[in-house]
Amino acid sequence: MRRKIQTRLLIVALIGLHLAVLFAGFIAPYNPETQNRELPYAPPVRVHFNYSGKVHFRPFIYAETTGQGTLDEDFSRPYPVHWFVRGDDHQLLGLFNSNLHLFGVDAPAQMFLLGTDSFGRDELSRLLYGGQISLAAGLLAAFVTLLAGAIIGTISGYYGNWIDEALMASAELFLALPWLYFLLVVRALLPLHVSATMSFMLLIAVIAVIGWARPARLIRGVVLSARTRDYVSAARGFGASDFYLLRRHVLPQILGVLLTQAALLVPQYVAAEVTLSFFGLGVSEPTPSWGNMLSVLQQYSVLRSCSWLFAPAVALVITSVIYWLLADTIRYSLKSS
Amino acid sequence: MNYLLRRFLRALLLMIGVSTLCFLLSELAPGTYFEDLRLNPQISQQTIATLNARYGLEQPIALRYGRWLEAAARGDFGYSIAYSTPVASLLWTRAGNTLLLTITAMLLTWILAVPVGVLTGSSRRLDKITAVASSLLISIPEIVIAVALLVVAVHTRMLPVGAMQSLGSEDLSTLARVKDILLHIALPTAILVLIGLPIIAQHIRSSVVEVLEAPYIRAARGLGIGPVRILFRHVLPVAANPAISLFGFSLAALVSGSLLVEVITGWPGLGPLILEATLSRDLFVVVGGAMLSAVFMIGGNFVADLLLLVSDPRIRTGAQD
Amino acid sequence: MFPASNMLTDPHKSMALRVCGLYKQYWRRAVIWRKRTKIFAVNGIDFEIATGQTLALVGSSGSGKSTVARCISRQERPSAGQIWLEDKEISVLRGSALRCERTSIQLIFQDPATSMNPHFSAAEAIEEPLVVQKRGARKQRRERSRELMNLVGLSPAWADRNVMNFSGGQRQRIAIARALAIEPKVLILDEAFSGLDLSTQAQIANLLLELQATYSLAYLLISHDLGLVTRIADTIAVMSQGKIVEQGTASAILGSPDHPETRKLTASWTKSQSVFSAKAGTTT
Repeated sequence: MRRKIQTRLLIVALIGLHLAVLFAGFIAPYNPETQNRELPYAPPVRVHFNYSGKVHFRPFIYAETTGQGTLDEDFSRPYPVHWFVRGDDHQLLGLFNSNLHLFGVDAPAQMFLLGTDSFGRDELSRLLYGGQISLAAGLLAAFVTLLAGAIIGTISGYYGNWIDEALMASAELFLALPWLYFLLVVRALLPLHVSATMSFMLLIAVIAVIGWARPARLIRGVVLSARTRDYVSAARGFGASDFYLLRRHVLPQILGVLLTQAALLVPQYVAAEVTLSFFGLGVSEPTPSWGNMLSVLQQYSVLRSCSWLFAPAVALVITSVIYWLLADTIRYSLKSS
Repeated sequence: MNYLLRRFLRALLLMIGVSTLCFLLSELAPGTYFEDLRLNPQISQQTIATLNARYGLEQPIALRYGRWLEAAARGDFGYSIAYSTPVASLLWTRAGNTLLLTITAMLLTWILAVPVGVLTGSSRRLDKITAVASSLLISIPEIVIAVALLVVAVHTRMLPVGAMQSLGSEDLSTLARVKDILLHIALPTAILVLIGLPIIAQHIRSSVVEVLEAPYIRAARGLGIGPVRILFRHVLPVAANPAISLFGFSLAALVSGSLLVEVITGWPGLGPLILEATLSRDLFVVVGGAMLSAVFMIGGNFVADLLLLVSDPRIRTGAQD
Repeated sequence: MFPASNMLTDPHKSMALRVCGLYKQYWRRAVIWRKRTKIFAVNGIDFEIATGQTLALVGSSGSGKSTVARCISRQERPSAGQIWLEDKEISVLRGSALRCERTSIQLIFQDPATSMNPHFSAAEAIEEPLVVQKRGARKQRRERSRELMNLVGLSPAWADRNVMNFSGGQRQRIAIARALAIEPKVLILDEAFSGLDLSTQAQIANLLLELQATYSLAYLLISHDLGLVTRIADTIAVMSQGKIVEQGTASAILGSPDHPETRKLTASWTKSQSVFSAKAGTTT
């Protein structure tokens, strides 16, 4: 019973995470690329509820006057936080334009809930938009890898003989490669400055090319054992075609494997994107991604003083932990069924 | 003997496969690569002509492949444009530093992981206490662990960050130098240990748990054999098998597992070299580094098979399962 | 390469199954070195089963009985020989022609636990042949599966119960119902009784005899249990190392065995019989 509640909570958390990132345009108060050169490295704004002794229900902030790591509030005028404000234009779900935001304050105050980065860009907005890129990279890469692995594994396990040997030999080759190194090799072959979409697609392609081998081997094993079962021979004895056998008897068995692998691979690939972008080999500026947002921490001074810039790392940890717990739950429920 | 031979052939074939792959990859860009070179004013026409002649880029692909294989076997991985030295010499020095780090980390990890794994496998209470920490460490990505430890090191100013030795360390006595290196190696080693320890400990733990549930262990307990003797005489030898192949896999990752950590902590190993090379598109260095790490990986896997052969009598007698 | 069979080439009308000159060879690889040895699992087999009759194929393990079953049911392709199902020759059929003809010969497997998909319900398992052969709409298939369940002695109320929730004997009944769904002419019982306890064996044996009488089915019984064989079989063929060493009516073989292999089998059987009757303290 506890497990069921746990699974439900995890799924809710996961969906919440993805929805928050999906609706980045709405939730984020500002455009991720708008620079505020006069407020670089501004720490997170302090939200007050207490004005001259009275408690207000509506939170308010004071304008920040300088950046550079110190919180300098201008106490001359409070700026109440409003809900559902009109602000910068953004595209919701890439479909329709809107300028409605979840919360905001009147100009010229700016509500930097997570501070700003080196160019004075709102960290929270960048976090949400960056999440779109990083999570999408992980999900897409996992999808492509699992698709390739499923197809190759099924063909290999079902038809056997030389096809199986050839495919598994090449799988072994790819498994023997240290993936990060080969990722770098492929990346080195390509021109360094590509457009954001291009580098995104490239990233996914490279991860998939290297990552198909492990799921392929797992799925091949499942398909092989399913294929040799008596009930498959029996069905063949009634005159079933290969297609029917695959659809009805073999493929349902691999669903469990696919699900577990998905829950394990997505966070790994999100981390891969973050790592690559951190090194400057993934998504490049000005498009935010959790990776390139973290790369500024390679500077010693920033590392020491601007703790709010660790937000993408925290987000990554939360994502990884949720997915990992989910994978654990899936594995447990598969084992007990 | 048969088993050994088959495994060796497989390793050999894999190495050939990997080198072919590397060759193909390096072939993918020569046109643009050398065109880039031609455009670069710092490289004289003479150098380009020499390189061309040396690597016989005008020759048909089969010949080039042959030369590649022969060169790779000799250890000649080409020429680095950025450093103007042969790739091989660059790689060897850096590889030495990497190995220093990874071997230290691996030894420490295993020395800690085995008792932790065995203890958590045999004691329910200990297991419960460590389970959360262990799961957390496994699920958190490497880059986060690395950055987190870096932050701790920077804030506490306990350990130096970056490089392998402090400036001017050549002047110190040998003992002081060793101490200096130890201080520098502490941070990256700590990160690597934190990354690897929970995984290995969990594997050992699950194989210990599996063995403890076997009927013959219950029988031994019923016979009145003490728990310590059961542990050492009956449980560990059996649980050792999967651990031994795991050890082999640890060996396999000796060169390739530390790239991230090296770059983040500034340890002068293969990692930062390859990264720089990627950023400056110094192709031969990247491919050479990839080949080296792949060779280590394949070799490590082969050693894992060897170790398994020595430890698991079932394989020696060719028993079918 | 394969010696010609000495059976008549024109098929008798009343023969449900005729096998002429069946051979099946496997290659066995020793090491990486190219030494491949040829092994004849089935080394020249002839037999026939008349409609409504049962032939038992007996022999010790490794004699090739199961391979014969697999070749006849076309789970594997025979290396040589002819397999006549009434008037159709099926040994070289492939593709859609094979899919059409193989419904006439069905297999009941040894292990009722693995012969059906564990996620299927009883009805789904029984209807599967109809689904595959695209016979009848859903409603008709439903009715037929209920009919068949009644026939094999299972209550149709259990139609939607998962297959794994039945006992071993009941699962064999489901397997029989499934096999009968597409109206076969020949049923191969490949050690179909080995996984069951004695009383269930008796029940299933009786069921099969009834069905044989009703539908004029021919049975090929593969078993190492001579007691069962005496109960069900009309004729017996003894196999050893891929060949049939003795063939004849049940009474003839069991009463006066000729070949040393047959003698070995009957000897161990009669010995076990006398052990049981001695234990029971009664005369047989």
